[in-house]
Amino acid sequence: MRFQSQKVAYWFFATCMLLLSLQIVYGFIMGFARIGMDGLHDYIPFNTARATHTNLLVVWLLTGFMGAAYYIIPEESDRELYSVKLAYIQLISWVVVGVIAIVGFHFNWWEGRKFLEIPRPLDYLVVVNVLTFLFNIAMTIWEAKKRSTTQLVLFFGLLCAALLYLPGMIYFDNQTLDSYFRWWVVHLWVEGVWELIMGGILAFLLIKLTGVDREVIEKWLYVVVGLTFLSGILGTGHHYYWIGTPKYWLMVGGIFSALEPLAFLGMAIWALNMYRKKGKDHPNKIALYWTLGSAIMSFIGAGFLGFAHTWPAVNQWTHGTLVTAMHGHLAFWGAYAMLVLAVISYAMPNMTGRKLFTGMSGYLAFWASNVGMLGMTGALAVAGITQVYLERKLGMDFLVVQKEIVFHFIGMLLAATLFTVGITYFIVDFIRHGLPSNEALGKNVGDLD
Amino acid sequence: MLSKSQARAFFLGGTFLFSAIFVFLTIDSIRQNDARTNAQNLTEDVLKGKEIWEKNNCMGCHTLLGEGAYYAPDLTKVVERRGVSWIDVFLDDPQAMFPGERKMVKYNFTKEEKGQVIAFLDWVGKIDANGWPPKPNIPVDSIAIAVSPQTSTNIVKVSQPEKFSQLCVACHAVGGKGGNVGPTLDHVGSKFDADYLNRWLIDPQVIKPGTNMPKLPLSDTERKDIVTYLSALK
Repeated sequence: MRFQSQKVAYWFFATCMLLLSLQIVYGFIMGFARIGMDGLHDYIPFNTARATHTNLLVVWLLTGFMGAAYYIIPEESDRELYSVKLAYIQLISWVVVGVIAIVGFHFNWWEGRKFLEIPRPLDYLVVVNVLTFLFNIAMTIWEAKKRSTTQLVLFFGLLCAALLYLPGMIYFDNQTLDSYFRWWVVHLWVEGVWELIMGGILAFLLIKLTGVDREVIEKWLYVVVGLTFLSGILGTGHHYYWIGTPKYWLMVGGIFSALEPLAFLGMAIWALNMYRKKGKDHPNKIALYWTLGSAIMSFIGAGFLGFAHTWPAVNQWTHGTLVTAMHGHLAFWGAYAMLVLAVISYAMPNMTGRKLFTGMSGYLAFWASNVGMLGMTGALAVAGITQVYLERKLGMDFLVVQKEIVFHFIGMLLAATLFTVGITYFIVDFIRHGLPSNEALGKNVGDLD
Repeated sequence: MLSKSQARAFFLGGTFLFSAIFVFLTIDSIRQNDARTNAQNLTEDVLKGKEIWEKNNCMGCHTLLGEGAYYAPDLTKVVERRGVSWIDVFLDDPQAMFPGERKMVKYNFTKEEKGQVIAFLDWVGKIDANGWPPKPNIPVDSIAIAVSPQTSTNIVKVSQPEKFSQLCVACHAVGGKGGNVGPTLDHVGSKFDADYLNRWLIDPQVIKPGTNMPKLPLSDTERKDIVTYLSALK
């Protein structure tokens, strides 16, 4: 940690850990409901659990991105954060809005639009909050003497993420248009500007962990995010096949979705190549595991598994089945969850001065959660493909098919347990690091730049 | 080898070009939208139905046009598939219609609200969704299946009453057609006499406490027609 104000990131990361734990709890509620154990139905019906599960995911990842930005931007700008006080106000209000939203879901207060369930009045508060965050980051960069590509790409990504939240706030009478613009937020976030944020954070971590020349890493950063937008913007079309939009989206969406894995492949090759070129070993191996792991898993989950069912001839059968849930789990885990965990693993020793990465528990956290997540994805894949064949291809009744795939959800719950063990190790390590301390100021553990 | 400024130009140029194409296609999609979605049929009821749909986060379990939570059936073509009267009865007490199955919240909709939800779903079902959902394309007779003796069709002189084909077939099969939640009714007429069937339909719980069969809202004539039909299934 070079600057005192970077400490603020710790509280964002701590919030992440709390929200991630809650997300897992709601995941289990849904998993058990699927095997017929829905004893909580009267208190937490499936739609509540589902909205809570996915919104917690979005909120904890955004919290992680904010924390990452508060940690990275001062270091990249070579100055203290513009206002630490504002950062704390922003965090507290962010948590308050989040808590109100989550509690509201349990009282039937929501907007009922997948992933964007937060009710309208809270949407406005989110906008104010994010603008405060961006203002703080922008002023830090504005008043800095140093400009770096990493810094600017990260900022541009965060700014676009904020702007793209707005189309989701327009009300449409027409379901087709409603859905059309909802994807402007959801798709253009996760397959567009979030990848920009991902690229920025990944570049920062690669610079720190491999010691490869900044110019080289940042050049490839442009190529990777260039590929992302080249494929991802028109790739939105794969959500427009069957919702009432013109037929040309089948072609546009099909072709550009097929290109989407390129961006993730680029990301993986980039990260591995930079690692290969490294000068010497960084002592924080755990952070490196999560960083490279994120680049590789995002290719498998977001790139390859996405590719596996976005071609229109395939998608007409898999659309709206568990195949989508299968892809969703590994995509979010690989691309964004692992990345946030990478930043946390890198930043914690720097902020607290405690080198916990030398122990065994970091590796256990990494392997248990990754194997667990792959297991969950596999279980969902088998369930999803079975569903496609029985329900869609043979025309069997929905509920009959659901009974046929209960077994795979038992498998999913077992894998989820292993995943939870991994995350528990991660959180225990997080707590063992303790609070950030001024004694850690000025020294970054083993950085190579 | 690519220089950093070339890489930046690739990023900025690509982003600008593809954003522009995306905006252009969006404008064209909006232009065609009214025709493709039959916007002229967006009545007051349909719009109210959409509000009810969203207010209760129906998409948190169901899917619509393939978007949703995959926990409950896709409702894009539900009006075509189940019919208005079945949905109307179902919404009063979803669990009664699928006893022991996956649970749905009982929303206590008024008659008017139910009509609005159905109007909304009916409108959605008529959107031109490029042929989605596709019809099943693996013929069942291409797969070896055990022939159940119970599904052998018997000759029935009485034609199926309208209410029977709207409500009963959701759970019961006759001649191999219908649901499998309840028993098949192919030979029900030889098992029970008309008086018993009549009393059974008035209130199943009285005859067999704890039964899964719901009490259906049938008028006297409708019930009589169904009893006549069932008695003929020998």
